[in-house]
Amino acid sequence: MQEPYRSGFFNSIKIGLYSAAIAAIPGAVAAYFIESRGPVKLRRTISVMSGVLANTGGVPLAFMFYAALGIQGQLTKVLKFFGWDIYAGRFSLGTFLGLLIVYLYFQLPLMIIVFSPAIVALRREWSEAARNLGANQLNYWIKIGIPLLFPSFIASFLLLFASGFSAYATANALTIGDIALTPLQIGGLLDGNVSASQINLGKALGVVMIVISAFAVIPYLAIQRRSARWQKR
Amino acid sequence: MRKLNPPLAITLIVLALFVFIPMISAFEFSLRTPGKGGYGWDQYLWAIREEEFFYYIIRSGWLAALTVAITLIVLVPTMTWLHLSKSSIRPFVDGISLLPLVIPVVAFAVGAQISFPEFVQDTVLELPFLYFVLALPYAYRTLDIGLNSIPLKTLTEAARSAGANWWRTIITVIIPVIKSAVVGTVAITFALSLGEYTLTVLLHWDTFPTWVTFVAQENILGAIAISMMSLVIPFLVLTALTLVAPERSTQGRK
Repeated sequence: MQEPYRSGFFNSIKIGLYSAAIAAIPGAVAAYFIESRGPVKLRRTISVMSGVLANTGGVPLAFMFYAALGIQGQLTKVLKFFGWDIYAGRFSLGTFLGLLIVYLYFQLPLMIIVFSPAIVALRREWSEAARNLGANQLNYWIKIGIPLLFPSFIASFLLLFASGFSAYATANALTIGDIALTPLQIGGLLDGNVSASQINLGKALGVVMIVISAFAVIPYLAIQRRSARWQKR
Repeated sequence: MRKLNPPLAITLIVLALFVFIPMISAFEFSLRTPGKGGYGWDQYLWAIREEEFFYYIIRSGWLAALTVAITLIVLVPTMTWLHLSKSSIRPFVDGISLLPLVIPVVAFAVGAQISFPEFVQDTVLELPFLYFVLALPYAYRTLDIGLNSIPLKTLTEAARSAGANWWRTIITVIIPVIKSAVVGTVAITFALSLGEYTLTVLLHWDTFPTWVTFVAQENILGAIAISMMSLVIPFLVLTALTLVAPERSTQGRK
């Protein structure tokens, strides 16, 4: 595989892994507190909001981050006021780090969406039974809660990876060709007046993307089947 | 309903900061009035006066509504049957429903472009069917959880022995019982179809999201105003929809 396609895959896999890794734990914790302690109306509002936010992307999302973290952004100004000039180095929203921050905006709600069902399926009887047998909160989490939720957590992580790996609209709106990403390369090869060989190259890159995502989602399927066993009522 | 407790409150505050800082910053930008100084609703008025604004809102709106209709018509009966029949193809269908997550949207667009016959690609009606596929993993999971949490067999047997046919059973018994799952499905499918950009642009169609991208090239502040509306309007519509749905939920804790 030649450049720039090799670094395209490298960057895409990296951003998929990083954005999933950063969003997974906060998303899981948020999902836990919302689902286990929130009133019905709050849970519904959050699930709608997560649905809308997980589907934001492209130009609207890029605008929001330019307005907050762009050179003239509000948050940039606030941070500068407190003595942290984020633009002192080489940071910009079009770099890998900038893209990563923006991706979190849809990855975190996605984590809440995909992880919540696992929390809903945790039964209160289990924590009550553990407490009756003398376990404290910590024992319950180490021996019961985390082992039960772990498969779903890994499964959600894999889904987030697939989502970050293949995101197109946002990257397209934020970068100006300064970072190689496979979805953008495919989009570029398919768009406009290009030769047949380039279109075939686009198709080939598409197939490689499917293979890579399959590596993430096939374990997801296996894990889901396993955790479906205890989630059934 | 309990009162908010501290961990939940902290979670909500952190999430709110994360979600609203970029949103409010963009909102502040969209209220700026260059030339005059100060703030005003100029950009919003400008957007509403654009002819294309309502054209694309209506277009994206009916495409999304059609996607929701396709999703419900295809999935509710199919999944009811899958749950009732204990068929051995159910794990297979579960797997299929996740395929859209495996296939990156970019690759999916390539496939659609190569394989669909001309007469399909010539009509914008192809989009709702493709959006249905994109929303399938989420819609399927939501309905699956809903159907798992009800005594489906008892309900259908009762309805059938009371003389209802299959359609009547599904419409008057099953859908009302899994209402919150149905509402969840409607919400996610609608939100996804309204915001879909990648597939739409690669197949060379114009919808609201692609129009925003186009406007951004000539009037940045106006495009920000339109973007804000494109986030807030679906959110309000869907929240109204979910809060109107009755309180009695068969999901989760009772």
